[in-house]
Amino acid sequence: MATTPRSGGAGSGTAQRPNGTSQNKSCQFKLVLLGESAVGKSSLVLRFVKGQFHEYQESTIGAAFLTQTICIEDTVVKFEIWDTAGQERYHSLAPMYYRGAQAAIVVYDIQNQDSFQRAKTWVKELHKQASPNIVIALAGNKADLSNIRVVEFDEAKQYAEENGLLFMETSAKTGMNVNDIFLAIAKKLPKNDGANNQGGSIRPNGNETNRPTNNCCK
Amino acid sequence: MATAARPPSLRLGQQDLKCRRGCGYYGTPQNDGLCSKCFRDRNDKQRKMLKAGDMQPIIGGSSHGPASFSAGGTLERRSPQHFLVRDTPKKQVDKEPDTTSMLQKKKFTAVLQKTLQAGAQKIAQQRGYVPDPTESQFVKQLQKLRIPDDGKRKLKSEIQRLDNEIRKYMNSHSSKNIDELSDTVQNTYTKVADIVHNDPRFEIATNEDRESAIDFFEKVVMTQNHKFLFSPYFTTDEESDMMVQKRIRQLSWITSKHLDCSIDEVNAEARDLVYNAISELVGIDSYYSPQEKLQCTVRCCRHIFDLLKRATGGPASADDFLPALIFVVLKANPVRLHSNINFVTRFTNASRVMSGEGGYYFTNLCSAIAFIENLNGESLGISKEEFDALMQPDAGLQSFSSPWESALMACESLHLISENMKQMEKLQRKNADISSGIASFEKELIEFQREVTERVDTVMAKAPLTLLPIKTPAFLIGQARSQLLQDMHEGEAGHYQANVLSGSQSLTVHSGMVKTAVAAEESGLALKDTSISSIGRLSPLPNLQQPDNLFASPIFNYAAFDAVSLLEEPSSGGCVDVLMLGAELQGGLTNINYDFDLSDQSGENSTAEESKLNLDEFDPLAQPQPQPCGAPAAVEPETSLINTTTDSLIDSDVPGTCVSLPSPLKPEVANYRGFSNFEIPSISCNTGDFSSLGHDVGTTEKPK
Repeated sequence: MATTPRSGGAGSGTAQRPNGTSQNKSCQFKLVLLGESAVGKSSLVLRFVKGQFHEYQESTIGAAFLTQTICIEDTVVKFEIWDTAGQERYHSLAPMYYRGAQAAIVVYDIQNQDSFQRAKTWVKELHKQASPNIVIALAGNKADLSNIRVVEFDEAKQYAEENGLLFMETSAKTGMNVNDIFLAIAKKLPKNDGANNQGGSIRPNGNETNRPTNNCCK
Repeated sequence: MATAARPPSLRLGQQDLKCRRGCGYYGTPQNDGLCSKCFRDRNDKQRKMLKAGDMQPIIGGSSHGPASFSAGGTLERRSPQHFLVRDTPKKQVDKEPDTTSMLQKKKFTAVLQKTLQAGAQKIAQQRGYVPDPTESQFVKQLQKLRIPDDGKRKLKSEIQRLDNEIRKYMNSHSSKNIDELSDTVQNTYTKVADIVHNDPRFEIATNEDRESAIDFFEKVVMTQNHKFLFSPYFTTDEESDMMVQKRIRQLSWITSKHLDCSIDEVNAEARDLVYNAISELVGIDSYYSPQEKLQCTVRCCRHIFDLLKRATGGPASADDFLPALIFVVLKANPVRLHSNINFVTRFTNASRVMSGEGGYYFTNLCSAIAFIENLNGESLGISKEEFDALMQPDAGLQSFSSPWESALMACESLHLISENMKQMEKLQRKNADISSGIASFEKELIEFQREVTERVDTVMAKAPLTLLPIKTPAFLIGQARSQLLQDMHEGEAGHYQANVLSGSQSLTVHSGMVKTAVAAEESGLALKDTSISSIGRLSPLPNLQQPDNLFASPIFNYAAFDAVSLLEEPSSGGCVDVLMLGAELQGGLTNINYDFDLSDQSGENSTAEESKLNLDEFDPLAQPQPQPCGAPAAVEPETSLINTTTDSLIDSDVPGTCVSLPSPLKPEVANYRGFSNFEIPSISCNTGDFSSLGHDVGTTEKPK
């Protein structure tokens, strides 16, 4: 699958539209990264977006907000990846980030049982508070260190199946499953020609009456 | 205006900033010192009054009716805008220019007047019409948009429609709900987006141009309605602003350590970047449109990423970023934080805050504010007790526990120290300059002193006050004596004696009397003769000398000088001879010391010695002295002298006999000794001593 990296740049508010020449559909998705701090959220994104691990380009200012465009079949999918602060103290702020998100990757560290437990709480919260048809993926990161793993693959796999999550063990270091998990999400996301129904009041502290149900654009 | 009523003072108190109605909120000068709520209430009242009154002059725009002037400063200020509203072609599109909408328009355009100075407003009043810079700017921007003209027209009409809708809503008397308004605006955005994307009029436009058209739509409407939509009076935005501001002030003790963020507070470079971020964050308030506010937020966050990249060495993740942003917000304590946040969330395209970089950073900012508002000890990793203690007012002030504060303090102090050091260095340099100047001045002084003394010495050496014996060539002395004698014999010696007499007479009549008496004793007839002859013959001399003699003795000396100078010049007349003699006499008199001695000696009556001395060292004047002294023995040497110099006497007889002719030898004599002796020392010394001499003579004579 050909990925066309396109990083940085602020994603425009509305979706890209075909310019008449290309018949490809174009979708933009907001993907939020959740997980305890130091599980490798941003490493995962950097690997996906830049193909980098620990060799940062000068141009990379931050890994908190990144975009990546990939092509699936005849659809151009643009991921807008929002990183969140993983520290416990900022946990309560997470809803602001995943509001309006079409996808979420909950990351945990396979060497850290606590991070897996935190991941579970994230998933629960997403089911409860995020948009109903949000695509959630569970990523057990640092799979290259599987010899000292704490969280068993099967355990996580079983949990994912129970909760209807995509699940993969990934390694930002080796690049294992990194692109795959994003592709899997892209595939699972609805790519129908929904209208621009993103319009709705979104307030940090306001009510969440208008939840975009379908953010895919023509 | 609020301040104008008060006497001017140096400090602005808290009270000066508050609303004039005393509602407790802060007022702004734009609102006549009222807070936004009171200002709007008042304006509503004024509008009602206006509505009740005669509206025609304002609507027609023909003139400033009395109503518009009496309505108060704010309305008066706005009135020029009314013309703008009328004249702008854009506004002419208005289909239903009913009174309310006109007034509303007046009001909304006043928002744009923020940029205009009061002076400019006055000018606007005078001229009646001045295009609003913002308005014309928008028109220009609209023209620049690369969309079909049909699209532009459509966009324009949409802008006006939303504009009207907003102002209608704001002026309606029903209870207002900001969410309603927000929904209206958001729906319009959706509608406009739909039009731009699907309307055939926009067909040939590119995606980018469509986006910019949508952005333009939002920007125009929001900039023009900023005044109504930003922190409206029917919301609690102001209260929230106050609360969060107070809260942040209370949390001033929070450090980067508390927040677990990697900002190095002590590092100067990091501090600079923090300041950059802070200034951007504070700058959010200064923009009108939500888009610009978002862009400002993005810039602020980029600074933070820059900062974190330096601190951590790689691209920062949200784990690092959010704490850093919270830290920056805490340190910046931006004004009207909630108002700004709410304005953006309510009135920007919802998709803008939901996605995109701006949306992400804006969400982070909202998170940071939410975190700050809900902050407790647990979220900072400290115990509740500690948190409560730190939250006490002045806790942070009493002890500079936070490294940030102490760093700032230290920075300030270091700055002060360096400033002082610089000052001290300057002072030191000045001091060194002064002391070196003093030293050089001292040296100069010494040098000057030395020079002066040297010069004085050289001058002294050149013209020493040596009382050299007057060396008179023997033949001259002989000549003189012989002449004297001859004169005496010929009855012409009287000149000389007459001179002496006249000199001494003026000084002391008594002594003169004595002298005359003595002279009479000595050579009574001759003296008388001389006196007569001198008066008869030498009329100019007494005339010349007499005024001098009348005065004090110094003048007498000057006269002597004059006499010398006269002598030098080959003066005509027989008086020269006499003058010469007078000069000699006076010169002799000037040499006080030996005059004294002489008189002493004469007093001792050692005539033999005296005569010898006279010959060798003393000038012939020594002779006259003894003569007046009246020592009878003195006559004898004279005679002997005459004897010795008889040969020369004959030669000198010529001048002696023919008095009218100047003797060629005499000037030489004067030249010879005169200058060394007369020049300097003689002046002061002579006079006093001469007078004393005269006295001496007198006193010495008296007993006799």
